[in-house]
Amino acid sequence: MAPIIELRDVSTVYEGEKRPAIRDVNLTFEEGEFAYVIGPNAAGKTTLLETINGLLPIFKGRISVLNLDVQKYGKQVRCQIGYVPQDFMVDPGEPYTALDAVLMGRYGKIGVIGRPSREDKEKAIEAMRLLEIEDLANKPVGKLSGGQQQKVMIARAIAKEPKILLLDEPFSNLDPESRDKISKLIAQTSSERNLTTIIVTHDLHQIVDSCSRTIVMNSGRIIADCELRKALALIEKWYFPGFWRHSG
Amino acid sequence: MMYLEYAIFQRALLGCVFIGLLGGLIGVFVVKMRLSTIGYSMSHSAFAGAALGVALSVDPLLTAIIFSATTAFFIGPAADKARLPIDTITSIAFSLNMALAFIFLTFSPQIGLSSEVASVLWGSIVSVTNRDLVYLIALCSITLALIYLFWKELFTIMFDRKMAEADGINTKIFVYFMIFLAGLIVALSLKIVGGLLVYALLFNPASSALQYLHDMRKIIFLSPIIGAASCIAGFFTSLFLDIPVGSCIALISTLIFAVSVIFSPKRKRRWRNED
Repeated sequence: MAPIIELRDVSTVYEGEKRPAIRDVNLTFEEGEFAYVIGPNAAGKTTLLETINGLLPIFKGRISVLNLDVQKYGKQVRCQIGYVPQDFMVDPGEPYTALDAVLMGRYGKIGVIGRPSREDKEKAIEAMRLLEIEDLANKPVGKLSGGQQQKVMIARAIAKEPKILLLDEPFSNLDPESRDKISKLIAQTSSERNLTTIIVTHDLHQIVDSCSRTIVMNSGRIIADCELRKALALIEKWYFPGFWRHSG
Repeated sequence: MMYLEYAIFQRALLGCVFIGLLGGLIGVFVVKMRLSTIGYSMSHSAFAGAALGVALSVDPLLTAIIFSATTAFFIGPAADKARLPIDTITSIAFSLNMALAFIFLTFSPQIGLSSEVASVLWGSIVSVTNRDLVYLIALCSITLALIYLFWKELFTIMFDRKMAEADGINTKIFVYFMIFLAGLIVALSLKIVGGLLVYALLFNPASSALQYLHDMRKIIFLSPIIGAASCIAGFFTSLFLDIPVGSCIALISTLIFAVSVIFSPKRKRRWRNED
């Protein structure tokens, strides 16, 4: 079976930069795979997710997601990806409710001109219920706390009913108790729905046991792609002594 | 009120209402999509077009519309091709159009900044024709229909363009479409509000409405009402005090904005929370 995500010799350069943010990346992900991407700041973790998502143009190489070339069919690909960006915060004055923000996740799938149906609203509410934020549905999203807003964004990604989940530091604003709960919830949802899930995190304590794979990045390159314990031992020994202790 | 017995003032008042509605409506998208430089760039391209019309002895409104529409048509794609922010391209278009306007004015030195060109700059109540009203009503209908059809896409882009893109919405087309629509509205508003002040109508009503409400669906109704109210009040102030209508509209809409900021229920709640 063909991999659901395939990157071949991919390099991405930001506008005005000389050095690629990620370079010569070769990766494949199978359907239902659950992987974490870890590494120090500026390792290229966020760039990797945005490159897979087609939000950044590639300088070299080829990416296919769901057997589609992301550079050509980005819109179709993104309709199947639930994405949570890093540190997404809404201004307190923004005139959108939490339900608006979650429901928007389904708009790309509905198609141009189409209107959200009752089913779309039910899916949005269901995702909010899963994240235990159903009671916030009619509150202005900008007035919610950082942690609540993060849950709204995760609910938005889940409400989309995607085939792939790309989550960039999804636990950064959550309190320790919520972090445990949400990381387990994501793992459970991914397993139940057979989603291919890639999570970027600094917080190694949140890496759940069901994680099948850990990718370690540094300076835009993949330096390890293996099972979690092996990856952590490798990091500790060769690359960033103390990384495990200092993270999270 | 005796003025309103005359067709010329009736037309002007109707023109004010439609311009206020259109400016307030499209202004919400301009403000929320952060296309802030669009307003003044469009107004100055319309001014350049009007100056060319005068120099060539053709209808300045027609050339103003052509210039605005052309500028609006190229701004979005030019920004994307050059990989520059839209604000950078609109600012460059602004200086280019001002330079062209002054060059075109030198082609007709006998007219200079008087009469037709001046009316494009400052606005003139008496110059509104039936044809202008037909254009305004047509644009109003088209704008409303397009916003109704593409509301969900526009709503998502206003929330966050990058997230909308990540959700599978082709944001480019909708942003270009908004720039183009703003360009047309500016060109059609020139006769009443004038090129130098027309952007007040794009920003002030929308910014005022945003101070009161937490629901974008309600803001989209309130902003055109504030726009139309500013224009009607500006129209009568201009008549009674005999001062340019564009200035009156800009002053009144600014006053409404100032009052909105002071009495904004959203801000009050925020200040209370901070205390």
